Amino acid sequence: MEENPGILQVHEVSKSFRRKQILHRISFQMKRGEICSIVGENGSGKTTLLRVIVGMLRADEGSVKLSGKMGYCPQECQLFNSLTVRENLIYFATAYGLSTKQRSWWRHVQPMLDEFNLLKDLGTRVSRLSGGSRQKLNFLVALLHAPDLLLLDEPYAAFDWESYLRFWELVNKLKVKGTAILIVSHLIFERDQIDTIFQLREGKFT
Amino acid sequence: MRGRFIWIASLMTLRELFRRRIVILLVVLIPSVFYLVTVLTTNMAPIPFQLAAVQGEPSLMVPARYIGLVFMGLASTGLLAAFLSMNLIQWDFHVTRRLIVCGYRPSEVSLSKLSVMLVLIILVGFYVGCMLRLFFQPDDFLSVIFGFILAGFVYGSYGLLIGSLLRGELEGILLITLLANIDIGWLQNPIFYSGSLNKALIRVLPAFYPSQMSNISAFSEFGIGKAFSGSLLYGTVLLMAAMLIFWLRMKRK
Repeated sequence: MEENPGILQVHEVSKSFRRKQILHRISFQMKRGEICSIVGENGSGKTTLLRVIVGMLRADEGSVKLSGKMGYCPQECQLFNSLTVRENLIYFATAYGLSTKQRSWWRHVQPMLDEFNLLKDLGTRVSRLSGGSRQKLNFLVALLHAPDLLLLDEPYAAFDWESYLRFWELVNKLKVKGTAILIVSHLIFERDQIDTIFQLREGKFT
Repeated sequence: MRGRFIWIASLMTLRELFRRRIVILLVVLIPSVFYLVTVLTTNMAPIPFQLAAVQGEPSLMVPARYIGLVFMGLASTGLLAAFLSMNLIQWDFHVTRRLIVCGYRPSEVSLSKLSVMLVLIILVGFYVGCMLRLFFQPDDFLSVIFGFILAGFVYGSYGLLIGSLLRGELEGILLITLLANIDIGWLQNPIFYSGSLNKALIRVLPAFYPSQMSNISAFSEFGIGKAFSGSLLYGTVLLMAAMLIFWLRMKRK
């Protein structure tokens, strides 16, 4: 029996838009508790690859196999701006199939909100939050259902230094719990925190 | 289909919509301005109006102010319903896609949008209808309101279709304003285009049946069956097309 089973298998994935090839036979896999990063210049195909893994785009060729729950944090804050922080959390928790009436859900969410200093903003509309707070909420939404695989697209672009440090603390806690984390970014400062770095150039791993 | 998912999505969509200042502003301003301008610019001289959705297509002589007010009520309801419905789709389109990635089904999101649209057109139709009562007493007030609601249904479905087809808000507003103006504002309205009464073109435009229904109810005792079924059929066809396109866009590409 395998000790650490693969949680994500990307096999020979290709994707093109009109006639332009964006991804060219990309393959890699991830295991529980592993932190991987895909780096590359703007336009190298990072976000497209992530969208194929998430299921927002269909691959022209190849396959993506995922075992377990997935959490996805997009690059831009994709939140309902006219709703409050609490309402956004309830809305996304419903999408994950969580019962927001159960106290266990709140016990799971509260420490994370506290860690990112968002508890005081529960009743605040997202449009009135600072850019950094929005980015933190954007990230927390991806964690609501305690995913086995976390896919992060440029997750800390708008974080201040404090939040950036807390982000890595949280990422390491999740790693210890066995969550696999894939970070897509054009810049990686914390090389020592990452198990594997894939470099994407013109749709291919180099 | 999961009822709780649809209920939460509908509730959140409604909250989101009514927290936008522009929505409140439009709901207050459009009918008030339209009615006020009509009262200030029309007189009580009788003008002919053909009840084309009644057997024999009889004509009535109706005071210009009253018929103008009914048409401005229809125009207000149609415009508001179309604009709000379009925005149900366009606003937060990418966030809605994220919801689907997180576990919502496209059909659940579509149904929640549809239920919010129905609530909106009933509210707007009733509200605009009640404002009409401040200016005159139609023969069958409830049926006039029902005609407004059907105008909202037809134009709301058109708004959903525009929202599903176009990404740009400005282009959407242009198409809605263009059709609503030409259709309810000018061609169906005998105050502006009395010559269009006999033209076949006006019978294929979206406001034909709802405007017939409201006018039959406001100024006569003729039956409204044909106008009612015509409105419902027109709105349903637009709605089905809108829902299909929205569902296809929400699916992965």
